[in-house]
Amino acid sequence: MAGLTIRSVRKNYGQVPVIKGVDLDIAHGEFVVFVGPSGCGKSTLLRMIAGLEDITEGTIAIGDRVVNDVEPRDRGVAMVFQSYALYPHMCVYDNVGFGLKLAGTPKDVRDAKIREAARILQMEHLLDRKPAQLSGGQRQRVAIGRAIVRQPDVFLFDEPLSNLDAALRGDMRMELARLHKDLDATMIYVTHDQVEAMTLADKIVVLDAGVVQQVGSPLELYNKPANLFVAGFIGAPNMNLISGKVAAAEKGLVSVALAGTRVAVVIKGTASVNAGDDVTLGVRPHALTADPSGPLQGIVQLIEQLGNETVVRVQLADGGELTAVLPGQSGHAVGAPITLAFDPASAHLFGADQRRIGD
Amino acid sequence: MTLPRPNTVVARGLIILLMIVTLLPFLSMLSAALAPQGTYPNGLQWPADPQWGNFVRAFEVARMDQLLLSSVLIVLGVVPISVLLATMAGYGLAKLTTNKYKWLYLIFVFGLTLPFEAVITPLYYEVRAMGLLNTRFAIILPLIGLYMPFGVYWMRAHFLNVPNDLTEAAQLDGATRWKEFWHVQVPLARPAIMSLTILLFLWTWNQFLLPVVLVQDPMQRTMAGALGAFQGQWGTDIPLLCAGALLILTPTILIFLMFQRQFVAALMQGAVKG
Repeated sequence: MAGLTIRSVRKNYGQVPVIKGVDLDIAHGEFVVFVGPSGCGKSTLLRMIAGLEDITEGTIAIGDRVVNDVEPRDRGVAMVFQSYALYPHMCVYDNVGFGLKLAGTPKDVRDAKIREAARILQMEHLLDRKPAQLSGGQRQRVAIGRAIVRQPDVFLFDEPLSNLDAALRGDMRMELARLHKDLDATMIYVTHDQVEAMTLADKIVVLDAGVVQQVGSPLELYNKPANLFVAGFIGAPNMNLISGKVAAAEKGLVSVALAGTRVAVVIKGTASVNAGDDVTLGVRPHALTADPSGPLQGIVQLIEQLGNETVVRVQLADGGELTAVLPGQSGHAVGAPITLAFDPASAHLFGADQRRIGD
Repeated sequence: MTLPRPNTVVARGLIILLMIVTLLPFLSMLSAALAPQGTYPNGLQWPADPQWGNFVRAFEVARMDQLLLSSVLIVLGVVPISVLLATMAGYGLAKLTTNKYKWLYLIFVFGLTLPFEAVITPLYYEVRAMGLLNTRFAIILPLIGLYMPFGVYWMRAHFLNVPNDLTEAAQLDGATRWKEFWHVQVPLARPAIMSLTILLFLWTWNQFLLPVVLVQDPMQRTMAGALGAFQGQWGTDIPLLCAGALLILTPTILIFLMFQRQFVAALMQGAVKG
């Protein structure tokens, strides 16, 4: 097992830059998730680690060894593909054992390893079946089994759960978390599903347009998004972002003038904010509460009753829109006025350069 | 019970008509083959006293056993090597070639446009220069070359449809390109290889032009090629000629009956690929 070091890595397709200089340290045993919108370069970065894409510039090291020019088979990595990529003509046993067979592993050792992987993944009864005879979840298990038996330094997962239905995805997520704990392995996981990212990761890497936007633990990213992109990307429903101007700033308390109203925001740490600065206020939907004395007034546009909570879409007086998640089964009606408030300490403030203001 | 709809009746009628049109020449040949020697059968009436012995005589005079052996040797010389080369080249062109070298494939496509008849004269001089005239190699070597454009085109179409993820999974599993080809790609290409094998067998077995031009000795030719010599020698004995022609057809028909499912698959594959 080993960690991973990525230094100033770039990737161009012809003249088009896809990865624009990524630096990253991944410790041994960490579960790191790359998230970002489609086309942000997260899968490309994973494939560069695997050796399936050339590196235009920079270095990737697994453990102490720079692997830029090392063939995929010699990098000590195993990858689980989105499509599973099982060999259709081989049964599960042969699929799982293919890598060991190629490595010339003695038959008895191979057999023991395959059966051990099958036991860990609870698929002993599937060993004689062909991939076509398996369900999506079972195929996924086989693909993971194929990765496990090779005992790689680093496991790579490329959106492995995206072809499964919601219920199975939840189950597999828990299995992956258990597997990570059992194997104590370094795992790098690519997804666009932030629930997977938040629940599985020790560390999340948010990418956009080939640039790392923020690296941190799931709660760090949720509580202290470094910029507007991360603020809008992490958290479901998305954070409400409203443009405004600083009306007054005094010792950690900033008063922000929005269209027709003023709100207070608590800023932690040192930050230079001056009256008149353009800012963007960020409030999580879950931080909003229905409060008749609140500063945000609007009309209810849409209501989604989820049973344990209610998602309310509100149109503000100035035409802007907000999403609020209210606890329980809210009695609000579409078309009715609503007034919302939030705790000043729970709000986020971003400057004109889109960066977070304060810690 | 429901009566078939009028359209169905018409369709069935047309199929039966087509079947009769297809089978009639065979039946006509069979009736002529069974006519007494020295007669000139019109091929439209069943002989009163069928002469089944004509087949035995045709088998003997045409030395059918030797022809069969010759055809088998030629098929064995052509088909396995052609299929192997086409499979490797198809894989190379589909999976190992960058956009820069796509023009290589166009050379093969160009080969598809050349009819055998167009190259037969230069081929004759080349084969003569190599000293292979009147040997089975005069048929085997040119046929391997002439089948390459189609074979490569066929196999490339198959390999293009194999997902790249499988190639990459094999690479990560530790396979070299060569091992990936043998352990992953070839087993997956079995249906395409089978179809190509059947088509090349059929074309080689029925090959007429090359054997007639390049090989003088009928015993070194394919069965279909030997039919030319047989015709020249026994052209006046219609029953014997028909019996001989039917005997030459028999192996092809037997192969077709054995592999009819694969034949249909091969033809369908040609219809949707490329």
